[in-house]
Amino acid sequence: MQILKATERDADERDLIEAAQRNPSCFTGLYEANFDRVYAFVARRVPNREEAEDVTAEVFHQALVGLAGFEWRGTRFAAWLIGIASHLIARRWQRAAGHVEVPPEELESIAVSDQTERQALLAQLVDRLPEDQRHVIRSRFVDQRSIREIAQELGRSEGAIKQLQFRAIESLRNQIRSRHA
Amino acid sequence: MLNHEIEQLDAAIRSLITGSTPHLSRENPQLLSMVDLASQLRLMPRPDFRMRLRDELLAQASLPPARRRAFNSNIALPTRAYLKSPTTHDSVLPPLFSTSPSMLPVRGSHLALSFALHVAALAVVFTSGWWMVQNRALVRTQIASRWSGTVDYILPAARGETHGGGGGGTHDKLPASRGSAPRFSEEQLTPPAVVPNESPKLPAEPTVVGPPEVLLPQLGQTGDPIAAILNPPSNGTGSGGGIGSGEGGGVGVGFGPGVGDGRGGGIGGGVFRVGGGVSAPRPVFDPDPEYSEEARKAKYQGSVMLWAIIDAEGHPRNLRIARSLGMGLDEKATEAVSRWRFEPALKDGRPVAVQISIEVVFRLY
Repeated sequence: MQILKATERDADERDLIEAAQRNPSCFTGLYEANFDRVYAFVARRVPNREEAEDVTAEVFHQALVGLAGFEWRGTRFAAWLIGIASHLIARRWQRAAGHVEVPPEELESIAVSDQTERQALLAQLVDRLPEDQRHVIRSRFVDQRSIREIAQELGRSEGAIKQLQFRAIESLRNQIRSRHA
Repeated sequence: MLNHEIEQLDAAIRSLITGSTPHLSRENPQLLSMVDLASQLRLMPRPDFRMRLRDELLAQASLPPARRRAFNSNIALPTRAYLKSPTTHDSVLPPLFSTSPSMLPVRGSHLALSFALHVAALAVVFTSGWWMVQNRALVRTQIASRWSGTVDYILPAARGETHGGGGGGTHDKLPASRGSAPRFSEEQLTPPAVVPNESPKLPAEPTVVGPPEVLLPQLGQTGDPIAAILNPPSNGTGSGGGIGSGEGGGVGVGFGPGVGDGRGGGIGGGVFRVGGGVSAPRPVFDPDPEYSEEARKAKYQGSVMLWAIIDAEGHPRNLRIARSLGMGLDEKATEAVSRWRFEPALKDGRPVAVQISIEVVFRLY
């Protein structure tokens, strides 16, 4: 099993966990810090966006319920969430396959990976794109709208929208490369 | 070259969105890496999902621990169903082999209230049904009758006798409809009408000519008090304005601006009529009429109008059918009214015979 690359200091995360255990309303801090990671992990293992959102929501709801029992043992909180997600996904697989047991090694293989981190980073980078590029990316990939529809909405030519799309993806690729470097 | 790459990238993205495999040359690794990135972008969550889930978690966190656990299965799933595409029904409809009795939140108090209301409604239905069965005979024969105050131009006592009458109509196809005659006035500016003129050149209250101190009963819709039909509204087949089959801007079958049989305004004479110094007789014994077997079987309902003279002893005499209902009910009405007893009408403190109309209503409950 690989270890998640830390994006925040352990101490900060521990403080967040303890605060959330004292006051569950503080759980939103942990949620914001880990949402992209959990969603990225789930999205790569379920067939569509709706199911990814469903599983992600269930992970956080279960985490909130079980937070009181969480003990800090040096393991990152994200790993605990990913563990919940793994079990939920495995249960779905079993249900879909007619209650066939999923081998432990299969569950092991769906643990944390660089790919998940990369996907989580990508979601964060999209949020930081310039307004027009972000709008094009979300319209194109989330809403699955055509270039023509987006052009009509923004009052620009189709060529301009394609160019914005290209620049946005190019920018995302360059930023991911620089982070990895 | 850049334009070519832009077009190639867009074509690849189109393929990704439609679910087909994009065809790309491996000679351009830069473009390949961008397409790979685009395939990951397809998995991005909807922007509002993150915020909605955050709100859900805040709502869940605000609950006591016991209910927080139940939140997962009862509230969160239906809420999340709103985020889903309408084509996915698995969160809207419970799965076939679901172990949960319901996917909707159920509160104990609401369930108890609903149960109590259903039990109460069933109790009412069964009790009323049981009562109907036990009292079948009573239900069958239960009728209502009432002595009608809409007697033929029933009037309070006044100083002098009233005579004359009037009639009218506007050449309508239908006979005049039933209602109250307008009030008496010394002179008439506007004749009465069931169907009034919507935009009169000189708006004035419709009246009939007669002694103003005589107050005719006002029951709502204007019309002929002894007409048989209530609807549709009609001014009647007469002429000269007014209501009825007569002529001259009054109400009824006479001639002139008065009411009833007669001429020249006012109200008709002959036997004493109520009003103009003659008080109305008052029923003191008025048993209900029976329903005829034929009418009850046919569930026939309606009213019979009788003309009668109430003599100085308070006995009904000379009963006549003014408006027939049929199916044996006219006879039943006559038979019943003939047994009625009245406190006689008074003129100058002495009992006198008067002619009145009595409406007997037959209704099955």
